[in-house]
This record gives sequence, structure tokens and C-alpha cells, in this order.
Amino acid sequence: MHTENLVHSVPDAYVKAVASPRLDQAWVDALGIPIRATDVDVILNDPEIEAVVVTAPSGRHVELIRRAAAAGKHIFCEKPVAFEPQAIEQAQAAAKAAGVKLQVGFNRRFDPGLLQMWQAVQRGDVGEIHQLRVTNRDPKAPPVDFVKRSGGLFFDFAIHDFDTVRFLSGSEIVELFAAGAVLVDPEIGKAGDIDTAIITLRLANGALGVIDCSRQTNYGYDQRFEVFGSKGSVFVDNTTATTVVSSSKGGVVAEKPHETFVERYREAFVAELAAFVASVRDGSPVRVGAGDALAAVRAAGAARTSHLEHRPVTLADNVQAVGGGQRR
Amino acid sequence: MKTITAGVLGAGRIGKIHANNLMAMPGVRLKAIADPFADFKSWPGPAVAASKDPEDVLKDPEIEAVLVCSSTPSHADLTDAAARAGKHVFCEKPIAVDAARVRATLETVKRSGVKLQEGFNRRFDPTFARVRRAVVDGEVGDVQLVRVTARDPAAPPIEYVQTSGGMFADMTIHDFDMVRFLSGAEVEEVHAYGANLVDPAIGAAGDIDTALVSMRLSNGALAVIENSRQAVFGYDQRIEVLGSKGGVEAFNETPARTVLRSGAGVRHENPLYFFLERYQRSFVLELEAFFASIRGDREPPAGGNDGLMALLICLAAQQSLLENRPVRVGSTAGAGAKKSQ
Repeated sequence: MHTENLVHSVPDAYVKAVASPRLDQAWVDALGIPIRATDVDVILNDPEIEAVVVTAPSGRHVELIRRAAAAGKHIFCEKPVAFEPQAIEQAQAAAKAAGVKLQVGFNRRFDPGLLQMWQAVQRGDVGEIHQLRVTNRDPKAPPVDFVKRSGGLFFDFAIHDFDTVRFLSGSEIVELFAAGAVLVDPEIGKAGDIDTAIITLRLANGALGVIDCSRQTNYGYDQRFEVFGSKGSVFVDNTTATTVVSSSKGGVVAEKPHETFVERYREAFVAELAAFVASVRDGSPVRVGAGDALAAVRAAGAARTSHLEHRPVTLADNVQAVGGGQRR
Repeated sequence: MKTITAGVLGAGRIGKIHANNLMAMPGVRLKAIADPFADFKSWPGPAVAASKDPEDVLKDPEIEAVLVCSSTPSHADLTDAAARAGKHVFCEKPIAVDAARVRATLETVKRSGVKLQEGFNRRFDPTFARVRRAVVDGEVGDVQLVRVTARDPAAPPIEYVQTSGGMFADMTIHDFDMVRFLSGAEVEEVHAYGANLVDPAIGAAGDIDTALVSMRLSNGALAVIENSRQAVFGYDQRIEVLGSKGGVEAFNETPARTVLRSGAGVRHENPLYFFLERYQRSFVLELEAFFASIRGDREPPAGGNDGLMALLICLAAQQSLLENRPVRVGSTAGAGAKKSQ
């Protein structure tokens, strides 16, 4: 998806090479990418390549970031950079030492709706923030095999929500309480994970936030956001493929939300790469960096502890987690 | 339909609403109203006997049912007295803010063999009742997540806050009942975050004005309540249930259903301003249900136990806020229950 977006939708980028153990030659040819490789060194050793997009399995992210940084390439890395804060710090340090940019794939920050919401908050439309709500629900539970290597609901799924709360509030999570449950698929429970959660949290600016997660709605990808404050509220609703409404004796029926994140965040996936390319070209800071990945992973870790130990957890060292670009 | 003769105790704001609704209700004859503090000069008119003394209502053998709408501290005593006088009782919530006192009244009511309904009017709101029906009819499948958003349009006067018993007892208690009503399950555990963000005077009075309460239910589901004392755009009352088959959500109701489109944007109406407007219909429907229970000799749809359960959740939430830990419902000192966990 990222490769196609770069080729088709980011005019400032030229995709010279793609490396993966498994590649469809016809797909590569159709995109007009000259070099196809199974070894990443082909990319890392190519002096003409200035930037890389890392979409390998999560377990390889940090290693690839370090090697790309050592090769002097700017890096866009999918989330999660890593599940361990120390590993993210290593990646961050490697990028810093090499003087390359490291952007993290928190795509929601580039969604037109969420961006507009963020702007409204920045303008003061809602006044002082009192409450935030993130509703994040998948249409269908993933296969248990995926669940097993996903890192768990907090790290794989709610990680976006922790970042969204930080992004919208401009504040840091200082404490949270996570209640999790297995309600969708008992197999997920057997694999040691949960499929439903409510995470309530306190922010440094005094506001309260709530994230509700489910692995299964049966009615599409449910992505809703609300910021409520002293002067009012802003809400981002689900988007749909079309706006058709059918009325009959059986009821008035509108279209379900998009079925997958690919459709829901189509513009965001393009915009995040365009922003990355612009940062590389202009030398401007990336809009979402390793510091943000670190803060989100720390929140996910706190949520896991809270759920397992059944108590609120403070993110004591969260202050150090502020990073990335464009933070005021 | 058999006509039931009724009396009202307390002629404050809610007492007047109920009395006016009764005067217009088929199958009910409002015979008497008592309130020590009302002057009854221009209201309720010649058709209804007005008195300063509740005993005048309680002693009247013709009166079968009594509505207790007095101030909260007198609810339990008047409910006891009415039950002992053999009258069915509709009591505004809460019966008392002390669980032991509520239990004593429930015992008195039981011994007297009368019916007791508590004023959880929101259960009768057509919109919320429809959400409940989606659960009962299996449209959403097994309940997994419940969200109740309840925000008042403006913070109450500080004098009110000081005697309100705190936000959870005064405001969230309705939402605790809504979580039980929608899910059909009991709240087993509560964790509450609270903050003072609306009015510093509320904080100075030892109360909060903003809260997020997270709950675990007996059927395994999770629930969350969002409260604020001040939503400047109006009374924000929304609920949502997610289940194994899908979800159902109720939005705010508005005075009219217009959308104004202009260069400035697409403007919808603000929510109905406050509970009197928003829940107007529910006040009629809850009383109709009360009298139908009497006529049909059925258990009222929102009984004394519902009030007790909501109170126990409230006490657990208060303790959670104080100690910042999840608290099991029924384990708090004031709950008068057997043991804490």
C-alpha cells in the first residue's frame, strides 16, 4: 500500500527499489520500480536512495532503522517501532546520531477529519479540554495466529488511540486504568490476549480521557473521536463509502462505516508519506517521531500492567517521552 | 380501566410536574396534595384538596397510591408511613443516601405488601427504552460495551452542590441505573476518575464536576459513564450499547429537527436544554407504568431494589475516587454489606 501510494500519489517521491523476501514481479513492474531485491543491502548500499520506508514485520523494525540510519537514509517506519521502550530509544538514538529523520506511521494524525479536529482544538473552539473519547473498533476479529504475534490489544490496537489522545490534547498521559475482557472470541483469551477494553486516563493538563476498543463490531470499522471542553465539543464521525440512505417499511438504512483501515484512512496513508517526503526535502522536522512512538508504547505498557494487576498505573517517566516534531 | 385515587406528598418542582401529569391522566384521580411549605393559592385548583400536613393524605382511606416528591431527607420516612398506611408508593430517587436506611424501607414496604416504584424516569424515555428493546430483542446480541454520556448544560449553584451529596449521588446515580437497565446486568466493580474543571467553587466545596467512571458488569461486559456539570451547548444525553451482533446508539433530542445550511456551515439544533424538557414524556410514562402495575398487580418496572443497587454503585464510585483503585460494589463501609473484598 505504501509503495503504491508513493508511486501514484506522492509526486515528489521516486521509488527506485523495493526489497522483500517475497515479491510479485508483475506488481513491481506495473509500478515501474526499476530494482527488485530480496536483500535490503541493495537499498541501503544504493547512494542515490535518500529515504526508506520500513514495512517489514515489527520484530525487524529496530534493526532495519539502525542499519538504514547508519547508511544515512531518512526513515519512515510503520508502527509499532518496537514493543520495548529501550528498543525505540535505540532506534531514536541511531537516527539522531546519523542525523536522519525518523517518522513513525501514526497515520491518524494525517486524517483530514482528525487534523481539522486538532485545528479546532488549537484555535480554542472547545476552550479548555475537559474530556476526550476515542472509539476504536474493528469490524472482525483477526485470526488467532495474528493475535499471538500482535503484541496484544494494547500494543497492536490501542497504541493508535494513545497517540490520538496525545495528539488531540497536546498533553501527556500521566495515569490510566485499563479494564479488559474477552467477549468476542474465546480463542483470543486462550492466546493470552483480550478483545474488548475500556481505558480511562488522566492527562497532564488535567483533562480525562476514555478509549473504548473492540475487535469486532459486525458493522464496519468504527472510528469516532470526541473532544469536549469548556466552550463546547468537536466530534469526528465514521466515514462511509457513499452517503446513500434507503427508506422503506423496514426502516431508514444508511451505509455502514468503511470495512477496513485501508479505506477509512486512505487519505491519511498518502498524506503521512507526502509529509515525510516533504520533511526530507525541506529539512523540516517530522510531524510524528520516535518520541511519539515511545510515549504510545509506554502508555500501552502501563495499560497492560493496569489490566494484569487490576489497578491504576502512573506513567512516572512519561515526561521524558515527549519527542517528535512540531510540538509546542 | 379502574380508576385509582392518588395523593402527592411534596409540591416542589417535581411534585408539581407529577401532580399536573396525574390531573391529565386517564384512570387516575388526584385527590389530595400535601406540602408544609406550599401556599397553594393559585395551584392546584378546587378539584384537588391541598394541605400542609402529609397525614391528611396518609390517613385518607380512599387514597390507594401516594407519590413521595418531598425533599430527599424525608423520602424514607414518608415512604415508610405510606406503606404502613397500606398505600402503594411512588418515591422520587433516592429513597435515602444511606444503604441501611434504604434496606429498612424496602423491608417495611415488603411487610406492608404494597408496591414501590422509584423515580428512575429515564428508563421510560421512549428513546432509551428503544435502546433497551434492541438489547432485549437480541438486535445487538450479547452486550459487550455500554457507554452513557450525561452532561448538564450548566453547573448548579454552589449552595445546591453543598447539599447534593456529591456528583455521583446527585447526577451519576441516574447513569448507574441506566447501565443496569440497558445491560440487564449488575455492576460488579467500579473505577472512577474525577476532576474539578468547570467551577473551582465546586472543588472548594469538596466535590467534582467532571468524571469518567469505568465499570465491569456481571455478564462480563464493560461500561463507561462520561459526566460533566457543564456542556455549554445543552443537555448532552447519549447512550450506546455494543453487542456481539452490532451496536445501538441514542443521540440528543432537539426542540425541532432543522438543519440550517449557509456559508458558515451546516447548523443543527442544540439539544433540549435540560431534563424537564428532555425527559418530559418519561415523567408521564413512568407514572402510567406505576398505575398499570397497581391495576395489574405486577411488580413495578423500577423498584426499590433498583434504587438500592444504584446507591451501592454510587458508594463504590465515591470510594474509588477517594482511594484511586477499583472498588467492588457492595464492599464499601457505607453499603452495610457483609464484607469487603
